[in-house]
Amino acid sequence: MGFGDLKSPAGLQMLNDYLADKSYIEGDVPSQADVAVFEAVSGPPPAALCHALRWCNYIRSYEKEKASLPGVKKALGKYGPANVEDTTESGATDSKDDDDTDLFGSDEEEEREEAKRLREERLAQYESKKAKTPALVAKSSILLDVKPWDDETNMAKLEECVRSIQAEGLVWGSSKLVPVGYGIKKLQVQCVVEDDKVGTDMLEEQITAFDEYVQSMDVAAFNKI
Amino acid sequence: MAAAAELTLLEKSLGLSKGNKYSAQGERQIPVLQTNSGPSLTGLTTIAAHLVKQANKDYLLGSTAEEKAVVQQWLEYRVTRVDGHCSKDDIRAVLKDLNSYLEDKVYLTGYNFTLADILLYYGLHRFIVDLTVQEKEKYLNVSRWFCHIQHCPGIRQHLSSVVFIKNRLYTNSQ
Repeated sequence: MGFGDLKSPAGLQMLNDYLADKSYIEGDVPSQADVAVFEAVSGPPPAALCHALRWCNYIRSYEKEKASLPGVKKALGKYGPANVEDTTESGATDSKDDDDTDLFGSDEEEEREEAKRLREERLAQYESKKAKTPALVAKSSILLDVKPWDDETNMAKLEECVRSIQAEGLVWGSSKLVPVGYGIKKLQVQCVVEDDKVGTDMLEEQITAFDEYVQSMDVAAFNKI
Repeated sequence: MAAAAELTLLEKSLGLSKGNKYSAQGERQIPVLQTNSGPSLTGLTTIAAHLVKQANKDYLLGSTAEEKAVVQQWLEYRVTRVDGHCSKDDIRAVLKDLNSYLEDKVYLTGYNFTLADILLYYGLHRFIVDLTVQEKEKYLNVSRWFCHIQHCPGIRQHLSSVVFIKNRLYTNSQ
């Protein structure tokens, strides 16, 4: 998440691309997310980044109601395209105060319990931090060839059918039509799958299920990422 | 969508409880509303504007003089260029116009939601529903606007929600 450095041209370009098909940073109404990103952008973006400029002007018109917009302002690194590394992670976890030992210690028993509780709290925090780091996931990039019945088959509909197949760990990539002769074109589509969640036999089953459009399916290429 | 059905949908979006009875006139089935105290009203945009005033939501017709004019412009556009014309080329021309127009705007009038957005959404719904993934990306601004409008509370109602993929696939189609 995050747009990188929003004061740099690269960061603004990322913001622009992100906003090309969205009206707001998050969700469907203006929120603190928009306020947070707006404040990080130093001035109006150049006219060439038309989506960022559009969004900027729009959020500026909410200047007076800034404080009352819904949501909670989060660190800048929490917004934006999901596949971008969060480079704004600055000591986000606030350093706990070290003065938990009461120097004018009143009750010794109380103190011991307090210190114990704090220790447990810190351990729990450490454990949860460790648990958050995602395990390495094995992924593969598969290139599929989907062949229609004849040259009259509606390839757009065929593509829609293929893309409608949703599964956890499956992400569809780009596709193109490759002619195979006699006017027939096959659909070559890329996808990225997580090995332990999606297999090619499952994909084959689901794609050939659309037997109104699909004659057959082959795996043209299979590469480990 | 038939004009009478659309007007009923608009009534619900505006929060009007009473269902008016609409009749249709002529071979193009132009809607007619018989008001209780006054002349009958003919025409989609005329009746729509009347409903907006009835619902006390005059801001939907525009606040400044320029905004009001822009709202009227798009209402007229809807009736002359979207209704009645079904050829693929006409629709492609409409989408292309809209796409370049919406590049720097969040709503049709700029930054405020108006009746123009509602009626153009209803008018274009049947065409957007049939667009392929590639076409939706080609008319990216229209897709963005359409996705936004269909999420506005009370607007979409029973119309099917059109899916717009989050990650763009064809990065060279600009």
